[in-house]
Amino acid sequence: MLKPKTRRLYLISALLLGFGGATAFMLVGFSSSLTYFLSPRQVVAHAPPVGETFRLGGIVETGTIQATQSGESLTTRFDVTDGQASVPVVYTGILPDLFGAGQGVVTIGAMTPGGVFHAKEVLAKHGSTYMPRDVAEALKKAGKWNPKFGPAPGPDALGSSS
Amino acid sequence: MQSKQDAGKLPARMELGRRRQSGWLHYFANPGRFVRFARPVLPWLAAVSALLTVTGMVWGYVFAPADFQQGNAARIMYVHVPAAWVSMSGYATLALCSFFSLVWRHPLADIAAEEIGPVGAGFTFVCLVSGALWGRPTWGTYWVWDARLTSVLILFFLYLGHIALVRGFESRERGYRAGAILALAGVVNLPIIVFSVQWWNTLHQGNSISLSGSSIYPSMLYPLLVSTLGFYLSFVSLVLARMLAAIMERKTSSLLLANAEHDA
Amino acid sequence: MIQHLDPWTFINGAYAVSALFLAGASLLAWRRLRRASAHLTQAEGL
Repeated sequence: MLKPKTRRLYLISALLLGFGGATAFMLVGFSSSLTYFLSPRQVVAHAPPVGETFRLGGIVETGTIQATQSGESLTTRFDVTDGQASVPVVYTGILPDLFGAGQGVVTIGAMTPGGVFHAKEVLAKHGSTYMPRDVAEALKKAGKWNPKFGPAPGPDALGSSS
Repeated sequence: MQSKQDAGKLPARMELGRRRQSGWLHYFANPGRFVRFARPVLPWLAAVSALLTVTGMVWGYVFAPADFQQGNAARIMYVHVPAAWVSMSGYATLALCSFFSLVWRHPLADIAAEEIGPVGAGFTFVCLVSGALWGRPTWGTYWVWDARLTSVLILFFLYLGHIALVRGFESRERGYRAGAILALAGVVNLPIIVFSVQWWNTLHQGNSISLSGSSIYPSMLYPLLVSTLGFYLSFVSLVLARMLAAIMERKTSSLLLANAEHDA
Repeated sequence: MIQHLDPWTFINGAYAVSALFLAGASLLAWRRLRRASAHLTQAEGL
């Protein structure tokens, strides 16, 4: 016969393991709906039906940003890429501070029949690297810039905040 | 110092803890001994916490360099990240106390769990608000329902649930038991918070600091570490002070009860 | 068109919330500890 506290120790440990395991299975099962956005690769492989709202996330491809002003509103066209596939995006409205070439973005909207993603909202996604601007410029000058850091500082990065 | 002569004046359940002195854990789990140890330490601990917290925050707000990408907005990191770490570690401590409470019925573990709840909820609130204020100028939004933000919001609700459950029963013991079960079940949320940015696509960036190193430049990392140490020690000081007060409140009410019985 | 927000409004807000919480929680804990200690001394004197 086990002592009561030993019994409680085994019982609670077993319950915790069971609960943790059940949660892990649930998370694996619901994994696709826990993902905040789809990558261009996923969208190219199985494009969600035209008109269905979803989120598309990736990097703004350098050299694809085109802005056209019509009256009060500004329409921006750019390609979102993940290095393997890219999806053209069109968005009318104000862009966040960090938006620019080589910058991560998450856009919310839907595909149009022409295969263009019509975004209703554009959010900027930034990396987890932090450094002072002079260090970033020195790294770039020395040719040691890792694209993982984010867009390199300089004239090609439209979005570096002032 | 009345704590030196408190033997025999402790409430029944604390008295029980006093008799089972097997092992170091039981040694420190004794409320009387805890008071004797924590009371002289607290003023010093509180002073060091305040000093480090103020140093870290001023360093981050004034002296740390602006980020190459996010500019000055990255300064929010020096309060957001420490608050996030403390809220998660605080919850882990709460869960550990709950485990001791359920298995070994340590009275001190119950008191610790009860007092960690509101402090941890406060730090989680600071984490959520400072994160929202960081998101608006960088991402372009205060809030999104991605896995990281949602799981931290769940952490906040777990704290609130624990606060309500521990205090929501006629019998204190029942409250402790129910709160401990909630706290232990909620532990699965901690790895979800930490790894959410790796397991799923999130708007929130990945972890900057991991076991393999950090992607923060030293002139920004040092103020972050000072501020983090300050926040951690502040959490410990706040919890210790509240636990001391709780033990004294209990001693007072049991003394008054004993007196009333004596008079009757 | 890129939106330029003044980040300092947000930085000040985040630091203010943190400082207010830390100061408020410390004040509450300190007052409670002082009161509990005084009540205990009083009860022991009975």
